[in-house]
Amino acid sequence: MLANIPHLGPLLSTWRGRLIGLIVVSQLLIPLHYYLGRRDPHDERFAWRMFSPMRMAQCTPDVRIDGKRFELASEFHEAWLEAAKRGRFRVVEKMAARLCRKNVGAEVTLRLSCQYLGQPQPTIYGGFNMCLADEI
Amino acid sequence: MAKKKRPQRGNPQRRTPVSRSFEVPEARVVHAPETPAPAPAFWFGFEVPWAKLCTARVVLFGLLAIDAVLQLRHAPRYGATDFNVAQLSFLDGLGAGRLAYGACQVALALLFTSAALGVATRFVLPIATALYAWLYFGSQLDSYQHHYMIALVLAVSCFVPWQPRQAVVRSWAIRLILVEMGIVYLWAAVSKLDPVWLDGTALDSQITGSMRSLILGTVGFKVAAITVVVVELFLAFAVWLRPAWKLAAPIGLGLHLGILATGFEIGLFVYDMLALYILVIPDRIWRAASEIGIFAKLGALGRAIVNSAGPPMLGLAVLAGVPIALLCRLPHVFPLALIALGVALIAMVRSQIKQQRPTAAAPLVVLVGLVLVFAVDRSTTVAIDYYRFWGGSQRRIGDVAQAEQAYRGMLGIEPHSEIAHFYLGRILIQTDRASEGLEHLHAAQRDEPGRARAFVEEARYLVTVGRKPEAIAKAKDAVFADPSDSDAKALFDTLQGTAKLAGPKRPDPDDD
Repeated sequence: MLANIPHLGPLLSTWRGRLIGLIVVSQLLIPLHYYLGRRDPHDERFAWRMFSPMRMAQCTPDVRIDGKRFELASEFHEAWLEAAKRGRFRVVEKMAARLCRKNVGAEVTLRLSCQYLGQPQPTIYGGFNMCLADEI
Repeated sequence: MAKKKRPQRGNPQRRTPVSRSFEVPEARVVHAPETPAPAPAFWFGFEVPWAKLCTARVVLFGLLAIDAVLQLRHAPRYGATDFNVAQLSFLDGLGAGRLAYGACQVALALLFTSAALGVATRFVLPIATALYAWLYFGSQLDSYQHHYMIALVLAVSCFVPWQPRQAVVRSWAIRLILVEMGIVYLWAAVSKLDPVWLDGTALDSQITGSMRSLILGTVGFKVAAITVVVVELFLAFAVWLRPAWKLAAPIGLGLHLGILATGFEIGLFVYDMLALYILVIPDRIWRAASEIGIFAKLGALGRAIVNSAGPPMLGLAVLAGVPIALLCRLPHVFPLALIALGVALIAMVRSQIKQQRPTAAAPLVVLVGLVLVFAVDRSTTVAIDYYRFWGGSQRRIGDVAQAEQAYRGMLGIEPHSEIAHFYLGRILIQTDRASEGLEHLHAAQRDEPGRARAFVEEARYLVTVGRKPEAIAKAKDAVFADPSDSDAKALFDTLQGTAKLAGPKRPDPDDD
């Protein structure tokens, strides 16, 4: 059916044309994932959201192991702490998963408090035992 | 990859195999490729002047080579504590570690140098693309979105005929790079259709420096924010449409120069975009430049060097390149220089076996690449940062052995570093090597006599070994060194007998 569409048919008749189509369509569609399906609003990767308001969000991760506050800096490189402060769910979830593996049987609670530009109150994510849940 | 292998012409015994990168075929007579373009002409009939393509090649890949060296300072964060979150989850366990990341960046610098010089682009660009993509997609530690864009541009650039044989080059891949730029602008504009951006709040919170003063003194943040969206929407369609280039080029260049003036810490993003704008500058400018002979003369010079005899250049590359590599302060440079020289030698032997005249192209690439790495190394703090960040992060997470190794490496390239002497001294004292540790603390005191912490540290040590009078004298020195240092004052007061001796009040950051 595509082959009968003017311009598109000749384009898709060669490997170069199919490669062009694949790249253009994927580049147009991949950023849509941020707006339609991404559970983490802070994760702006592949969406070309340079200098967006979300980039200014400031999050504070609070991790507790069996109720006792855990200092993430003692376990993870500072660059990962920066990613956590940007609110990247996958990063904090993997941090929690690692702490669960290292503290078998313990309760690892992760609470992410994020302050957004133009919003007076922070938004809270998580706050439960991450050893019983994969996602915040 | 970009073009099919052409039948070889001329005397097969004495052909020049490696590089045609500097050739300017009939540069003064601009003509279209001989064969008609297959449909659709929008893609397959897209043509650019040779001069534009070569300028873009030199500037873009030259910048990427420099960027690769600059990225080395971030190597210590890779693989630290064996924790990684990849951009693509299936790569979580396959991300690069510190050594692999560092070695790959040096390799990338050499590969991009080769591409910039137009030598073996069909071989080096796919390798460079694969390495670059692995490093980027292998870890979310690289948060620069433009590195994602460069990964895409590199993938497409593998299909660009960077070593053209005609004054006008037909390339669908160049059109595709421009369309990719347009898509980036489109989504960037969409992301700003947000009340917090459109009322100027987001821009207000991000911009500092002279650009802030300029905006405040003229149109204000709300108008500036809306203007950015309008400009990005315009560029989304104008960068890939040839008739719009005469507007797109100045507007786009203005936008990115404006971003440069904001002082955002976004690496070489602005420069990469400015390099890509070479492709948007109207062709007539490149034709005019060609007609006055600039490119013809540069091309002739480059051709003469690249196609000169290989063995003398290989000798020069060894004689000059090895000392240059040894003088580089960055890690990995020397072994990679040896590998690169080996590859150059193999390329020349291969030419000899194929009864072709070995040219200077491959050893020239190695020599130029090493000079570039050396220049960036010596003109920036990237090598010092590498060891400083490595030592800082390892110290904080408690890997004393690696922290010691890092600080010793730092002293190897900067013998008068107060930071390295101070932390190495502390580590040595903590690990029961007090005598050597004190020597480093004394060195830190000499190197930065106005900083109190080395005096404080020594005073603390003297207290622990029961030499209180000496500790009081040292604490007094600390207060003299920096009267505003609260640790020094507190320690001095404590030793005078008014308070309990306290430890350092806060953890030190990685970068110090």
